[in-house]
Amino acid sequence: MNGIIGFLEYFKMLMPQVMDGLLVTLQIFGLTLILSIPLGVIIALGRLSKLKVLNVITGAYILIMRGTPLLLQIVFIFFGLPLIGVTLDRLPAALFAFTLNYGAYFAEIFRAGIRSIDIGQYEGAGVLGLSPRDTFFRIIFPQALKRVLPPVGNEVVTLIKDTALVYILGLDELLKIGKIATNRDATLLPLVIIAIVYLALTYVLSEIMTRFEKKYDYYK
Amino acid sequence: MKTLIKKALTLALASLLALGLTACGGQDTSSKSTLDKDTWIVGLDDSFAPMGFKDENGEIVGFDVDLAKALGEKLEKEITFQPINWDMKESELKSGNIDFIWNGYTITDERKEQVSFSKPYLNNKQVIVTLADSAIKTKADLKGKKVGAQSESSAVSAMEKETDLYQSFDGGKAITFEDNNQALMDLEAGRLDAVVADEILLRYYITLKGAEKYAVLDENFGDEEYGVGMRKDDQKMVDAFNKAYDEMKADGTLKEISEKWFNEDITN
Amino acid sequence: MLRIQGLKKSFGNVEVLKGVDLELQKGEILVIVGPSGGGKTTLLRSINYLEKCDAGTIAIDGKYLIRDGVYASKGELKEIRRTIGMVFQGFNLFPHMSVIDNIIEAPIRVFGKNRDEALVEAREILRFLGLTDKENSYPFELSGGQKQRVAIGRALALEPKLMCFDEPTSALDPALTDEVAKVIKSLSVKGMSMLIITHDMEFAKKVADRIVSIDKGVIIDEHMYESGTGE
Repeated sequence: MNGIIGFLEYFKMLMPQVMDGLLVTLQIFGLTLILSIPLGVIIALGRLSKLKVLNVITGAYILIMRGTPLLLQIVFIFFGLPLIGVTLDRLPAALFAFTLNYGAYFAEIFRAGIRSIDIGQYEGAGVLGLSPRDTFFRIIFPQALKRVLPPVGNEVVTLIKDTALVYILGLDELLKIGKIATNRDATLLPLVIIAIVYLALTYVLSEIMTRFEKKYDYYK
Repeated sequence: MKTLIKKALTLALASLLALGLTACGGQDTSSKSTLDKDTWIVGLDDSFAPMGFKDENGEIVGFDVDLAKALGEKLEKEITFQPINWDMKESELKSGNIDFIWNGYTITDERKEQVSFSKPYLNNKQVIVTLADSAIKTKADLKGKKVGAQSESSAVSAMEKETDLYQSFDGGKAITFEDNNQALMDLEAGRLDAVVADEILLRYYITLKGAEKYAVLDENFGDEEYGVGMRKDDQKMVDAFNKAYDEMKADGTLKEISEKWFNEDITN
Repeated sequence: MLRIQGLKKSFGNVEVLKGVDLELQKGEILVIVGPSGGGKTTLLRSINYLEKCDAGTIAIDGKYLIRDGVYASKGELKEIRRTIGMVFQGFNLFPHMSVIDNIIEAPIRVFGKNRDEALVEAREILRFLGLTDKENSYPFELSGGQKQRVAIGRALALEPKLMCFDEPTSALDPALTDEVAKVIKSLSVKGMSMLIITHDMEFAKKVADRIVSIDKGVIIDEHMYESGTGE
């Protein structure tokens, strides 16, 4: 009994710091999503473009972003860019790296989603006289969106856990808060608490994604 | 992993420069002295109790933190604390993100090539700790045993200097952990036979975890000193620092801070 | 109405259309039959600018889609394509849109009609096709015959002068072919020209004003065809 009360008291004591860490984690998570999804769409269009130049550029971009560790990209952007005169603060640097990285992953998901739409849909839109722009945004993209929701959901859950990588810039996000408390109080309890918070976050995100998928269930 | 990141970073930066992207617009930190700035940014790993860490209220506290605050007051500078990752400390200093590395920073020859150190302000030892009932009583007993330490710490460097002994450990080297707390937990779990770590840190942890559980050996892996890291060749800053430090020693400020954290004056 | 002269098209080394000549009058229902690989699908797709031809002429209602191997400008192509309706073999309905949205998409986006106006006209079309109660259904909820009628309705919303059908009976229950034939005939009465490709001779005879056959990339005389397949 004493143990449970002790745990609850510790939990209560740690809560304000956990909220601080959660704020950093959610900031990076939310802003990365908002920025990287549109970026992903643009990169995907570049990949699918008939212009060879765009193909090569976006292809190289995706290769670099997916082919090197995100941790390295963060370090690079924060410590490396100042050498060529671009100095970013910690949070913007982290956001920049996350957006570039996740943009590449989203691009590949969107590319696959767009490619999976039957050629007949393009032809159907074509004979109706729809412009390429309308064809994409009215016909192709909405259908691709439904198909990419499951893999996007996967990335979203990965992202919430990847945010922990900003520890390398000294940012005190959720996991770092747990580690600080663990080192200070010489106990694993904070990590248990942090694990519960991550689990709760992931649960909420999964629920939201399921809602989205249900929303698109109106057609097959 | 950490070494890998460092190596990759160095390589990447080198290639950036080689590409002809000249370092023009970046902060020019070499010619200006930190002493001329009004605000000083102290870089620290905020999970590094008791030197600098976040307390229950989320405030950055610790022995080094109090020391830095006292120095700021004395020299009329505003002090801010910037949490950094310990692996990146020298990069942070060089790029001007921080002005001091001040967080139980052991003075070593390798580090002297990258930063300028203040005069040593704290003596430290790399001590060997075992569980209270362990049969290990001397350094020689470590032969064939599993020995743990914090990764990239001066404990590892100290052990490596005693090559024969180091190579006789189980596995031919020390088992390294992200922090000392993890190493001590492993010791407690019985998977390690001994942990080598900073005496100052160990005291803190042993007190927290229960001193009766552990035994600290008489022999150790040598003495070392903590210093404050400042930008290389900023001699003006180093001189001002050392002068202020001596004055704080004389007027009892240091004694007061030391007693607050360690119950005795252990400063130089 | 539709005039095709010396139309040629190759896929790589294979010449699929070897100089096709064809004419279609206003309000006429022309059925093209022929074996698979004979070139009839390619011909239909070429008229709809879904394939680009190498040589020849296609004129629709006096406007040249391609003249002696030279295609019209982008703007002209757009104009010409608006006068042609196409009902695909697989219908190519937009699965994420309801029946009525499938039909009003082009009038709104292409003709710039406002939604209310487009809805009134679309409901008129649905009534004509007997689909009034399916207005808010989605394509996956419809039978093959209903989907086809939606596809016809979608094409009709552009008020085309020429309607093309690619294998209209292939996805249908044999009992339903009469109904399609009826719809097609009632449209031609309104003055619309019909171009249908099929391999279903029964259906062709039922619906056609004229039947021609295409094989090995050229049009074969209709009498020859009928004597070859007469039972």
